[in-house]
Amino acid sequence: MIDYFALALGHGLLALALLRLAMWRQLDDDPALRQASDARKAEADAQSAAARAERRRRSDKGDHEGEQA
Amino acid sequence: MIDLLLIGYIGFVLVLGLRRPFLWVLLYIYIDILAPQRIGYSIITDLPVSLIAFAAAFGGWLAFDPKRGARFTWRQGLILALLAYCWWTTGWADFPEPAATKWDWVWKAMLFAIFLPLTLTTRLRIEAALLTMLLSMAVIVIGGGIKVVFGGGGYENRMLIVNDNFGIYETSVLACMSIAIIPAILWFIRHGTIFPPDWRVKWFGYGFILACALIPVGTEARTGLVCFAALLALMFTRVKHKALFAGLGAIGLLAAIPFLPASFTERMGTITEFQQDQSASTRVAVWAWTLDYVEENPWGGGFDAYRGNRFEYRMRVEESVEGTTSVTYQDVTDEARAYHSAIFEVLGEQGWPGLILWTLIQASGLWQMARIRRRWRGREGADEQWQAPLASALGQAQIIYLVGAMFTGIAYTPPMLLLLAIQIGFASYCRQLDRARQPAPWLIRPGQLRPASQTSAA
Repeated sequence: MIDYFALALGHGLLALALLRLAMWRQLDDDPALRQASDARKAEADAQSAAARAERRRRSDKGDHEGEQA
Repeated sequence: MIDLLLIGYIGFVLVLGLRRPFLWVLLYIYIDILAPQRIGYSIITDLPVSLIAFAAAFGGWLAFDPKRGARFTWRQGLILALLAYCWWTTGWADFPEPAATKWDWVWKAMLFAIFLPLTLTTRLRIEAALLTMLLSMAVIVIGGGIKVVFGGGGYENRMLIVNDNFGIYETSVLACMSIAIIPAILWFIRHGTIFPPDWRVKWFGYGFILACALIPVGTEARTGLVCFAALLALMFTRVKHKALFAGLGAIGLLAAIPFLPASFTERMGTITEFQQDQSASTRVAVWAWTLDYVEENPWGGGFDAYRGNRFEYRMRVEESVEGTTSVTYQDVTDEARAYHSAIFEVLGEQGWPGLILWTLIQASGLWQMARIRRRWRGREGADEQWQAPLASALGQAQIIYLVGAMFTGIAYTPPMLLLLAIQIGFASYCRQLDRARQPAPWLIRPGQLRPASQTSAA
C-alpha cells in the first residue's frame, strides 16, 4: 500500500512537471541568454552605426578642408 | 497493475517528447535512477526500457535539438579519459567475468554523464534534469521513510520498493545519496520555477527532506549517519545564527533519540567501536591490502580486483559476564572482501592513473561550484539570484557524497555521475551567460582596457 502511494505520488508529480515543461518554449530557448545576446547585438549595431557616422563625418570634414586649400 | 502504470508513464513521456525531444533525456534519467524494469513483475521486465530511452534521448538530441550553447568541456574530457582507461583495464582484468559485468553498467553511466551536459543549455533544462533526479529518488525515499515511521526497516531488512542490491537500491548508496540531495531539495523550495515555491512545494519539500533523513535510520547504514553529520557541519558553516542552529540541532537530536529503533542506536554505536567490529576491521585490512596490491600493480587490476584479496587480522572482543569484562583477541580470516571505500575501489581497480583521473573529476567539481558561488553571490539582477545557491547545493551534495564514499565503494554510482553532469552543464551555462552579458571584445574601446593612470596620462 505504501509502495503504491509512493509510486503514484512520484509519478504524478513527474508527469505534471513534464507536462508543464512540454508547454514552455523556455525549455529549448533560454530567455536570459537570448536577452543577453540580443542586448549585445543591439550594442554592437549601435557601436558600428556610431563608427560609420564618425567615419562619414571625418571624411566629409577632410573633403571640406581639401576644397578650402 | 504496477507494470501498466510504469509502461503507461514511459509511453506518456515518449509521446510528450515528440513536442520537446529533451523530455526523452529526462526519461533516461528517470529510468537510470528508479530502474522501473526492476519494480514491475511481468511485461516491463522483458522490455529494454533503458536502451529505448537512451536511443530516444541521443537520437532526439542529434536530430531535433537546436544545440545552441552545447559545449564539450574539459571535465567531460576527464570523464571520457577515465572511461577509456576503465575500458583498457577491463581488457586484462584479474577477474574477467566480474569485471565485464561491472563494466557493463559503468560505461553506460559514464557515457550518459558525458552526454547529458551537451543537452543542458537552458536554465529550465538544468532544473528539469535535477528535478527528475529528485522526484525519481522520491519514489524510493518517500516509501522508505513512511515505512520507517511505521516501524519498518532495519539492517539487511528489506524496506525498499525493490529488494535488490542494484544501483541506488544498495542501502549504503541510498543512505548517502538521500542525505546528499537535501541541499538540492532546499534549493527547489526557494528557487524552483517548474513548481514555483508556494505552501504546497514547501510542505512536500520538507516532508521529502524528513523522509531522506529517515533513510539512514531505516537502512541502518552507518554511512548515512556519517553523511548526516557532514550535512549538519556544512549547514552550520552557512547559517547566520550559528549558536541558535547548534542549540536547536542538539535539542532536536536529543529529542529524536527515544524514537529511534534500538537496533539503529546499537548499530550506530559500533562506529566508535571499530576494534570490536568485524565489518570495520575488515575495511582497514582491505585498505592495507589494496595499498600493497598497487605497489605491485600500479596500473590497477581491473574491475572487482578485490576478489583476489585474502588476509588475516586480530580482532578485539570484549565479553561482560556478571559485571566483569574480559578482553580477548580472535584471529579472523577473510577473503574476497569488497573495498568499502570509493578511493580504494578506484585505486585497486584502476591503479594510480585511474585514481588521479577520478580525483581530478571530483576536485574540479568542487572548485567549479565554489567559483560560481563566489562570482554570482551578491549580484542583484532578478534572474541572477538562483545561480550561487544552486552552485552551493551541488557543491554540498558532492561533499556529502565524498564523505560517504570514504567508507563505501560507490565510485561510479550513477546518481553521483548524474550530479557531476548537471554541475558541468550548469557551469557551462553560467559561463555563457557571463560572456553574453560582457561587451564584445571588439566593442571595448582602447581606453577601457588601460589602467586608470595610463588613461589619464594619455
